[in-house]
Amino acid sequence: MNIQQYRQLTLLFMLFTTFLFAQDSFTISGTIKDINNGETIFGASVFLKDTNIGAMSNEYGFFSITAPKGTYILTVSYLGYAEQQQEITLDKNQKLQFELKESSTELEEVIVTAEESERINIKSPQMSVSKLKIKTIKNIPVVLGEVDIIKSIQLLPGVTNTGEGSSGFNVRGGAVDQNLVLLDEAIIYNTSHLLGFFSVFNADAIKDIKLYKGGIPSRFGGRVSSVLDVRQKDGNNKHMAITGGIGVISSRLAIEGPIVKKKGSFLLAGRGSYAHLFLKLSGEDNSAYFYDVNLKTNYTLDNKNKFYLSGYFGRDDFSFGGNFKSGYGNLSGNLRWNHIFSSRLFTNLSLIYSKYDYALDFKTFEFDWLSYINNYNVKYDFSYYLNDTMKLDFGANIIYYDFYPGKIEPTSSTSAINPLELDEKTAFESGLYISVEHKITKQLSANYGLRYSRFSRLGQQTLVDYRDNLPVVYNETIGIYESGEEVGATYYKSGASIETFDNFEPRLALAYQVNDNSSLKTGYSRTSQYIHLLSNTTSVTPLDVWTPSGKYIKPQLSNQYALGYFRNFKDKTYTLEIESYYKTVANRIDYIDGSDLIGNNTIETEILTGEARAYGLELLLRKAKGRFTGWLAYTISKAEQRTPGGASGGLGINNGEWYNSAHNRTHDLSLTGSYKFNDKWTFGANFIYQTGRPVTYPDGQYEYEGLTIANYSPRNSDRLTAYHRIDISATWKPKGTSVKKWNSEWVFGIYNLYNRRNAASISFGQNRETGINEATRTAIFGIVPSVTYNFKF
Amino acid sequence: MRIYKRNILSILSFLAISCTDIVDVEVQSAPLRLVIEASLNWEKGTLGNEQVISLSQTVPYFDELINNEVVGASVKVTNMTTGTEFEFSDQNDGTYKTSSFIPVLGNSYSLEVQHEGETYMAEETFSSVVDITEINQSTEQGFNDEVLEVNVLFDDPIDEDNYYLFRFKEQGDLLPEFVEISDEFTNGNQMTIFYEKEDDDSINQEEFVPGDSVDIKFYGISEQYYNYIQLLLNQYESVGNPFSTVPVVLKGNCTNPENPDNYAFGYFRLSEMVTASYSFQ
Repeated sequence: MNIQQYRQLTLLFMLFTTFLFAQDSFTISGTIKDINNGETIFGASVFLKDTNIGAMSNEYGFFSITAPKGTYILTVSYLGYAEQQQEITLDKNQKLQFELKESSTELEEVIVTAEESERINIKSPQMSVSKLKIKTIKNIPVVLGEVDIIKSIQLLPGVTNTGEGSSGFNVRGGAVDQNLVLLDEAIIYNTSHLLGFFSVFNADAIKDIKLYKGGIPSRFGGRVSSVLDVRQKDGNNKHMAITGGIGVISSRLAIEGPIVKKKGSFLLAGRGSYAHLFLKLSGEDNSAYFYDVNLKTNYTLDNKNKFYLSGYFGRDDFSFGGNFKSGYGNLSGNLRWNHIFSSRLFTNLSLIYSKYDYALDFKTFEFDWLSYINNYNVKYDFSYYLNDTMKLDFGANIIYYDFYPGKIEPTSSTSAINPLELDEKTAFESGLYISVEHKITKQLSANYGLRYSRFSRLGQQTLVDYRDNLPVVYNETIGIYESGEEVGATYYKSGASIETFDNFEPRLALAYQVNDNSSLKTGYSRTSQYIHLLSNTTSVTPLDVWTPSGKYIKPQLSNQYALGYFRNFKDKTYTLEIESYYKTVANRIDYIDGSDLIGNNTIETEILTGEARAYGLELLLRKAKGRFTGWLAYTISKAEQRTPGGASGGLGINNGEWYNSAHNRTHDLSLTGSYKFNDKWTFGANFIYQTGRPVTYPDGQYEYEGLTIANYSPRNSDRLTAYHRIDISATWKPKGTSVKKWNSEWVFGIYNLYNRRNAASISFGQNRETGINEATRTAIFGIVPSVTYNFKF
Repeated sequence: MRIYKRNILSILSFLAISCTDIVDVEVQSAPLRLVIEASLNWEKGTLGNEQVISLSQTVPYFDELINNEVVGASVKVTNMTTGTEFEFSDQNDGTYKTSSFIPVLGNSYSLEVQHEGETYMAEETFSSVVDITEINQSTEQGFNDEVLEVNVLFDDPIDEDNYYLFRFKEQGDLLPEFVEISDEFTNGNQMTIFYEKEDDDSINQEEFVPGDSVDIKFYGISEQYYNYIQLLLNQYESVGNPFSTVPVVLKGNCTNPENPDNYAFGYFRLSEMVTASYSFQ
């Protein structure tokens, strides 16, 4: 499908929706904002009192409700904010702007309340979604005081990772590359700073995050496990404000304020770690540091048109002993145009660019290496508020990818390295979707949708042809997988299609409200993923290369089924969510024994295609009101994969048997709490317990060439010891500074309070002095105290 | 290229290096398996008639590696081109020897080991190796530009794919160190392989100082053996590296055609070899 066809379809949608206008009812639409800083509010509730008619504000604060002619009391509410009521006479379409005031505008409010949007909405069919306000994230104790979004979501049920200091996160047994991470809609390919110790999101620039673990709405596509939707703040459009902080690892500064007579606002935030941070740690002339910059501006042209521009730039730099340098980073930008066609039709057009690259400079061997992935994304989304029971979302997007897996260049004429450039790969990924939010009866509501996705891998490129079309063959004689025999090559000229895939992805969610306080929900979603991160190491590294589907790599396809029970207790003070899921992924890439991925132009000779499955039960009990807030999350789950030999012959990887995925943790428990003692002091604590991750240990040894060689057991058939720790924090807000409007706080934290040496990995080898076999434990963070100073004026 | 990659990844893991310790771990025990160490090396300028093959058995990982020699087996190598057979006689200490071996570069040889009613087979071609052109020392090469290293130089032939194995051992050290390399990224160029040691108190390792001597062995190897030894060394050297690849079962080329699951560990390899030693000035 080309862009023109998309346009035609889009027009069709619009026509279709226009026909449905002719009713004797009217629409109230508008925007909901925070009165203090003008930030739009996402997830505020707007409803007509004593009716069943209502809506939630969208990501841009927009809402629209339609009701029959009459007089109503309109209520706008958002927890933590004062409710507003207004009598309206509905005899024509009208526009209303609301500015909500925080319940207690003082920073030192006594009663802490979780944000409305974090609580479950028992009526909405959307399940398997977790929302965290940046305020909540900032209260969670963290290592070295560095507020970390990726670490915070790991406290939620169903989210784990492969250990401290490993990049990314795993959702419901999925791999790191199966998460779609969006920062203001731009795809972020690597979420880690310093190889996973910290994350790329600067909390001072972020408004809120939403994690879809399942039931992914049809407007999202391209990854099979989850969507992490991170949204940056718009910037204060009331007055200039500066926030900042000084921590053990980094310092931060953000400035925001109105522009062009308050018709717009901007936010500019920067963060940098201290260079040579780990100098002492490694004892050599080494350094490692990161920095990032977030930018956002918006401009309101008139009450129908609003523009947003957001950008992110972040980098990591390493230098070792003067002979080795490395750097990697993400760059993204998004230009958005909100256009309100009518009081019921809200649209957003986005032009998005993002890039991830890494570079190495190896003086010892006189070469450097450069690799990147680039993408351009055009997205047009429509929300049509059809009537009081139905809302339609539809739209289209198209992404152009440019994969540049690497170039090696000698850096001197004496270098022994020959220049090498791996093949550049290009592809188009497009999607077309529609979804309907439908209140079927008072008790039953549904969200059903369909996504059509299509992926075309394009030339120009030369691909190797293999005998019998098999890039990997089983060597029967010695019983190992090895590269297939090259029999020729096929050249695809620029723009020629190498391979095209398309998929229909139905999504369905149902909610049945049992009574005022509880509901049952169920969901099914089918998702596809066309690009894959190649990684055969225990944890993902910045050097891992993204590769598109094509002649030899098929798209991953996933089906997920979920069932849940949701309940509010004690006047919504407590909420309980219980969900179970079952998920399958077809065409999961697996790596043959001894696979070699770096600098390899024919990756297909190192991989076989298998399948993965995961199932589990998740429980989340949350206390949202009172001096004490927090949650208990528990997950019991299993994630496995298997890779039969298929056409390549042989039994397959691990003899074709199911084996534990690297991030399969049977039990995962976290307890997170925050206690507001008084105006000055707030305390926070975490407890985390996880089954150790699956690993492969030796099951025998022998001598070969004078060395003691370990023989290893089947893949991931052992486990590390359990991981657990407690963290605590205390936040102190001194009062009565002489400077007006100056607010500050000190955050004291202790990570891993009882100094447990949690194993990040255990490796086995021969002691070079004694020749005896040893097991070496790598533990990353012991007890780590920290102090951070934050300010705001 | 592996050496570069391995070093890139292990350097990236530097953050974790300072927080390791030795722990007790319970591991599984696999059934015992025969190990065939059949490395037939022909040093340039010698007859190459004296050859040894060692047979042993695996032992549980944390047990002592003693009393695991295999005696009473029959060991035979055949030059598949000429049909000449070489019987290796049992020395009753796990080694099997011959003094009549005839090495021919480029010829294919087969190995047959019979032990306790099982027959193990392997085939391999005799690989040649070029000469070392120069051995020198420096500090600016290597990973640390303040530490002495020895450099071995040789010219890679341009018209073929070549695979090499180096064995370095400082006189007085318990264990050798191996470096395997292919000409994948360096075909036809002069290649330099360095051997450097850094101070490491935990294993009593000291950097090179003038007066230290290093024994060097340089072997030509086949592509298949290169893949095997690369994986073996990767796994051997991955200690403490969180970015190492998932360890896997190491299969060599010694098969058991009658009973394929009961294959033997180890490898049957035939290499031309250059030996040298170097004393730091």
